[in-house]
Amino acid sequence: MEIVVCVKPVPDAETRLRVRPDGTGLDEEGVKFVLAGYDESAVEQALLLKEAKVATGVRVVTAGPSPRSEEVLRYAIALGCDHATWIEVPADPRPDAVATARILAEGLKRYPHDLVLVGKHASDREAGLVGPALGEFLGLTDYAGVVDLRWDAGRSLFTFLESVEGGALRVEAPAPLLVSLQQAWNDPRTAKLPNILKSRKAPIERIPWTEVGPAVQERLARSAQRTAFRLPPPRTGAKLLEFKTPDEAAEKLVRLLKEEAKVFP
Amino acid sequence: MSRAVLVVAECREGQVVPSSLEAVGLGRSLASDPVVAVVVGPPSPAVHASLAAAGAARVVQVDHPDPHGASTAFWSTAVAEVLKEFPDALVLLGSTIRGRDLVGRLGARWDAACVAGATSLTVDPDGSVRGSRPVFGGRATEEFRLAGPRIVVAIRPHAFPRPSPTSAAPAVETRAAPSISGAPAAGRVTGFQPAETSQGPELTDASIVVSGGRGVRAAENFHLVEELAQSLGAAVGASRAVTDAGWRPTTFQVGQTGKSVSPQLYVAVGISGAIQHLAGMMSSRVIVAINTDPTAPIFKVADYGIVGDLFQIVPALTRAVRAARGQ
Amino acid sequence: MPDFSLTPEQVDLRDMARKFARTEMLPKAAECDRDGHFPEEVYRKAWELGLMNLNIPTEYGGSGLGLMDQCLIVEELAKACGGMTTTIMANCLALEPLLLGGSPEQKERVLTPFCASYNLASFCLTEPASGSDAGAVKTRARREGDEYVIDGEKCFITNAPQANLYTVFAMVDPALKHRGVSAFLVPRTTPGVSVGKEEDKMGQRASSTSSVRFESVRVPVSSRIGKEGDGFSLAMRTLDQTRTPIGAMSTGIAQAALDYASEYALKRQTFGKPIAEHQAIQIKLANMAQDVHASRLLVWQSAWTVDQGKTGTLESSMAKCFASDAAMRVTDEAIQIFGGYGYMRDYPVEKLLRDAKLAQIYEGTNEIQRIVIARELLRNRA
Repeated sequence: MEIVVCVKPVPDAETRLRVRPDGTGLDEEGVKFVLAGYDESAVEQALLLKEAKVATGVRVVTAGPSPRSEEVLRYAIALGCDHATWIEVPADPRPDAVATARILAEGLKRYPHDLVLVGKHASDREAGLVGPALGEFLGLTDYAGVVDLRWDAGRSLFTFLESVEGGALRVEAPAPLLVSLQQAWNDPRTAKLPNILKSRKAPIERIPWTEVGPAVQERLARSAQRTAFRLPPPRTGAKLLEFKTPDEAAEKLVRLLKEEAKVFP
Repeated sequence: MSRAVLVVAECREGQVVPSSLEAVGLGRSLASDPVVAVVVGPPSPAVHASLAAAGAARVVQVDHPDPHGASTAFWSTAVAEVLKEFPDALVLLGSTIRGRDLVGRLGARWDAACVAGATSLTVDPDGSVRGSRPVFGGRATEEFRLAGPRIVVAIRPHAFPRPSPTSAAPAVETRAAPSISGAPAAGRVTGFQPAETSQGPELTDASIVVSGGRGVRAAENFHLVEELAQSLGAAVGASRAVTDAGWRPTTFQVGQTGKSVSPQLYVAVGISGAIQHLAGMMSSRVIVAINTDPTAPIFKVADYGIVGDLFQIVPALTRAVRAARGQ
Repeated sequence: MPDFSLTPEQVDLRDMARKFARTEMLPKAAECDRDGHFPEEVYRKAWELGLMNLNIPTEYGGSGLGLMDQCLIVEELAKACGGMTTTIMANCLALEPLLLGGSPEQKERVLTPFCASYNLASFCLTEPASGSDAGAVKTRARREGDEYVIDGEKCFITNAPQANLYTVFAMVDPALKHRGVSAFLVPRTTPGVSVGKEEDKMGQRASSTSSVRFESVRVPVSSRIGKEGDGFSLAMRTLDQTRTPIGAMSTGIAQAALDYASEYALKRQTFGKPIAEHQAIQIKLANMAQDVHASRLLVWQSAWTVDQGKTGTLESSMAKCFASDAAMRVTDEAIQIFGGYGYMRDYPVEKLLRDAKLAQIYEGTNEIQRIVIARELLRNRA
């Protein structure tokens, strides 16, 4: 079974957010782009399935600009992915989620994929739209918020929990399918030092924009436009209550929540 | 250019979920034409009535025996069929787990411009749709514009008001399930596993959340957090430190890899405020932090802070809340 | 012209260490300091990821890094916690004599199993009566047939309570004075080896320190590193290697202090404005920044020199001495900038001063470093 994991490089969690000069997005100058959040879980899940001998190979794919795309792919290789593909996408115009899915679908058509894994949503824009749109473009059923993904070799079925509000559905489904992963069996592993050094020399397959661009032009034009990026007015920090006894603190807080913040139930 | 507004309503346990009703209310405020609600599942008069009360003039019911069993492929096919009647529609739905999945699928299938998690929305005279949504875990806001004939927007729960009920009789039409032969094989649902939650509202739905963190020190102490939550009628959450330590299941976890909540009031007890946790709750309207460490990052984002021992403060607060609520 | 930019590999290593420090070390730093707790789970994780045994060649299962790469990693770890960094680095110190003077067979026999699983080692030189005067060790190793019998006591040994392997410097022939010292590899399990009670230290409390006693400990001749009498020279050449990373550690602690102080100065207000706008604070911050920057550059140049194959005694002594003295100045000023809050254990800065202090004392006191520097300086002019 061949697994393809689609990942997105996102700004490192400790990035100080700044608005870029034209006001439309994050200022990416000096920002470190990493593999994070649910994407890390998706890679972890793929590697676990490979270690359980369910999958023969894991390919990690990303569609985006340089150098963040290669950086993230190298990290995925350092974690243990076998192959990496970078679909070159220019920084402008920026494809939205559905356009990105269209671009990924163009790339993925070139590789066998019995299981396509994506993270539930990316930790920067948190929309979670690429997975389902990609499923639609590839003609695959997709499942969102998946936990505990297993392969039942006897019946040739995937079994998993699909999150819904209030709990989860127990589902079984045949390959091929697309899974938006919420949680792998284990916490994502960290790449080891020797593998990080080795990954610098690993080959990355490159699909140039010229091979993908024309097919996705129309969808690209339909993209949601990002017109502004705003930071909230700086939070001045908590109003620290002064009190002599815990009861005094409690009473002050209840009064503030009632009268000032107006959120008391 | 005026758009038709169509709301895809989601039901759970025989009731329309709150964010679908919020979507109907929003649709009414945005469109001059009557709002159409589409619902997929076993037909239910109660559901129709509540959609009509929220302001849907017309309900299109796509019959399907088991709402749980309908895959998203089925949903998107069924809705796309209905949409054939509405070439220029603005489709609204709640940004639930299902909802976001549907947005992605519809965006691809129906070739629509789409967005998930909107917290504000307007329609321009030229028919394009503008709005905003939180990004980076609520640390920033992005404004977007969607243009073109077909638009799908999933709205963030609690971001728009619940419509005040109107008395109206719904015009309901039922349609047969579309054939989805040729669609990829759907999985089979073999059961439902309810989340292990404490009593009280669902974490992502609740308007008040009380969360406990590492400062609680041991599983045996977590009841203090739960008692405070109960006194406020709040949902209970936890930081990753708590769920990693096994004091509470991961379903309680609020944070970047846990649940994202945006309640009216968030009380953080013994939580330091690491970015991963903040990402899950920073867009809460009012944040209260209780911690012994005055340099804890949580105090940078909180509105009110109590620097003190939670083992004294939290019981006192629970007492004060109960007294104020006449419990 | 010198090129100060880091290679992509070096950036990867630094970022990897930074992430480990931030996610695994920092959350536990205050607790370990308060309780004197030895966070073994952190050290195991460091070993798993290849952050321990940095200087051991890859053929034995180590990470095989040069000094510059090691220093980039050490600085990042030290920003999170000096004590944990010392524990992680202590293996490098303990095993360096074997790397410098051991036979290929000996290295293979000892290092391969050592690196293959989580193990700690200790460098045992200091004694109750001999610290700086390292040639005056009283621990005796008497030759008996094809064994040595070791008797004596070492003190203030890092990792001693948890180590599996000790590199012990013992006097074989007192008549030869420092040329009579030999180095031995002694497994913890050897009968007669016992460990004293763990010391209650001023700082670096996540690192574990105690005395080690050797009572008629018998080791085979094959456990001796190099020839008889090589011990003192091995110890000195080891310190030539390890001084620079200590400088890197001090730089990391100082950088953390500077970061906390700068952030605080931008927030704390007095007389109607952030204290960062008052000249007194600006001057302090400027001095701190110069100290940190200069420390880092001395460390980098020393690491580069040694990586070129030179001994680098002068450079490494200056890097260690300057950076550790600078870290004391910087952490002290950081506390001052925090004012009353800086004195409180609830705030992270006072720990930094307590952690920084040790670097002025261990691996050759700064007084000894100055003697070394003067000697190297004047040697070139003689």
